[in-house]
Amino acid sequence: MQSFALYPFDPPGDTVALRTDLRAWLAANQPTDDVVARANCWASFDPDFSRALGAAGYVGMTLPAIYGGGDRHPLERYVVIEELLAAGAPVGAHWIADRQTGPLILRYGSEEQRQRYLPGIAKGELYACIGLSEPGAGSDLAAVRTSARETSEGWRINGQKIWTTGAHLSHVILALVRTEEGSERNAGLSQLLIDLDTPGVTIRPIIDMAGNHDFNEVFFDDVLVPHGALVGERGQGWKQVTAELGLERSGPERYLSSHALLVALIDAAGADPDPAVAGLIGELTAEMWTLRQLSMSTAAKLAAGEDPMVEASVVKELGNAFEQDMPRRVQAIVNFDWDDEDDLARLLRALLIASPSFSLRGGTREVIRGIIARGLGLR
Amino acid sequence: MSAARDMLCDTTRTVLAGADDIAPVEEAGFALLLVAEDEGGFGGDWGDANAVLHIAGMLAPDLPVADVILSGLGDVSMPHRAAATVGLMAGAMGQALSLSIDHVNTRQQFGRRLGKFQAVQQSLAVMACEVAAVDAAAAAMAARLDATGFDAEAAGFEIAAAKLRANRAVGVVTAIAHQVHGAIGFTEEYDLCRVTIPLMRWRGEHGNDAHWARTLGRQVAALGGRGLWEGLTARAG
Ligand SMILES: Cc1cc2nc3c(=O)[nH]c(=O)nc-3n(C[C@H](O)[C@H](O)[C@H](O)COP(=O)(O)OP(=O)(O)OC[C@H]3O[C@@H](n4cnc5c(N)ncnc54)[C@H](O)[C@@H]3O)c2cc1C
Repeated sequence: MQSFALYPFDPPGDTVALRTDLRAWLAANQPTDDVVARANCWASFDPDFSRALGAAGYVGMTLPAIYGGGDRHPLERYVVIEELLAAGAPVGAHWIADRQTGPLILRYGSEEQRQRYLPGIAKGELYACIGLSEPGAGSDLAAVRTSARETSEGWRINGQKIWTTGAHLSHVILALVRTEEGSERNAGLSQLLIDLDTPGVTIRPIIDMAGNHDFNEVFFDDVLVPHGALVGERGQGWKQVTAELGLERSGPERYLSSHALLVALIDAAGADPDPAVAGLIGELTAEMWTLRQLSMSTAAKLAAGEDPMVEASVVKELGNAFEQDMPRRVQAIVNFDWDDEDDLARLLRALLIASPSFSLRGGTREVIRGIIARGLGLR
Repeated sequence: MSAARDMLCDTTRTVLAGADDIAPVEEAGFALLLVAEDEGGFGGDWGDANAVLHIAGMLAPDLPVADVILSGLGDVSMPHRAAATVGLMAGAMGQALSLSIDHVNTRQQFGRRLGKFQAVQQSLAVMACEVAAVDAAAAAMAARLDATGFDAEAAGFEIAAAKLRANRAVGVVTAIAHQVHGAIGFTEEYDLCRVTIPLMRWRGEHGNDAHWARTLGRQVAALGGRGLWEGLTARAG
């Protein structure tokens, strides 16, 4: 990884037209122009918007048409998601299903699972959540203890997941569970697709420090799901999850969470900003522009079938640092009272409070740096 | 020009290895690198120049290789010099990283190789991210210069962004590289200062952070908030 050559980002078709169409669609369909709602928009849950977006062909874009997908190239999808994020569209409802659960089911799932879940995902109507973390297994995912035992009726699941974003609003959870009794570390793990209305599943809210209810505890108390709930191969859960994390880490959401603030800063500064503000805008722009090159290059590598684990981690590490620093750097330059109610102040306040999560979700900073260090040959 | 780039890089490495003055670079004809073929030049693109400068930044940061290459352009502006400097900086930072990795993989303390300590691994990961960012910025800037026929004004946004990004990386890269080397890196004899001192110098040359931050900031302010995104996507990708 010692030299980062840019991989050519070369989507098929006419991306200019794709952007133009989507921008026009958003101008007609964007439900809110509240700046705070637009910021960190991939956590904003709006099923009506997701359904409309799906009907317009912008969800499930890379899934095959036989499952209701758009048969589009991954880089066309990339263009669409960066437009959605830059516009602050409320994509939270379908985000996880569209980004990782759908592609994972397509790659590892059974034909029955594909037919059952993919059309709803592509319509922007079926939502999924990620069941990895547990109270004793956060950074150390191989410590997962939730168990699933195969019986004649199906899989019996007992245990608990935590920090499950959107569980209370989703239809299914893709859970990493221990399917071999007595297995250790990353052996004996499998992935199960569990419908969240199955008896024995309890979802309890966890309110975050911003006062929002995004994540949850999910309890499994003797939950019985059919044999067909197993995704991919029994015992291959670790390998599958690693592939899933590749999809999770390099996207434009890893540097665009605070984009609304940069937009608001530029608008508030006006055409002739004072030198300190102009300097800050310049610095932030240079970083964002660079991150976009890195992210597009990594997306192109992923689309070409390579596994750019280290590059994806570089995007996440630099992107998280950028989007986390941005509110602090703006606060350091722009006068604002914590309780002001103008757009820039509300946005700044909201992002300062949200920003600690940026370097936690999707893998903590230390874990990500560990992956990069391995890529450097140090581990 | 990419077809011949590998050969060009090999030549560059051969010419620069052990060179202690600029004469071999001039004799090898690098002044013709960016001159069109029908004008008797090599017909290289900015991507080629960037590749050569990258190697120069690694192997011969003290030689004025950028000046020689730019001389072929005739009319050279300050942004052109800034653009060339980004290529050198990317190379020098890459070299600082590889020297650091080699060092922590050989030096033992507390009975272990330094590279086995998590604190050291985390520092080097941070440095590697900065190096990757500068490599990416240099490559994207080169692509824009090629798309505009080396027009430094039309590529003004990318040059400003890339030089600024490279400047910012200097602080992080030089600090971590020296830190993981301990005292040996602070000696004249050891190779690290051959790249870190030029990095310190280049950060202030052809536009320091404040210069490019304000230049770019004013350009972006004129676009407006939404205009920034529209401008970015219209320029590339
Ligand atoms: C907003 C948000 C949404 C989330 N959504 C989901 C979700 O939908 N599904 C899901 O499964 N999880 C989710 N998570 C959980 C997230 O993936 C975990 O928080 C993360 O993996 C860290 O686990 P932990 O919180 O248990 O921290 P810990 O593992 O306890 O770590 C605490 C700190 O110690 C560091 N640390 C731990 N081990 C090491 C080590 N070996 N070396 C160096 N440092 C170490 C960590 O990097 C971290 O900084 C979400 C988290 C957040 C904040």
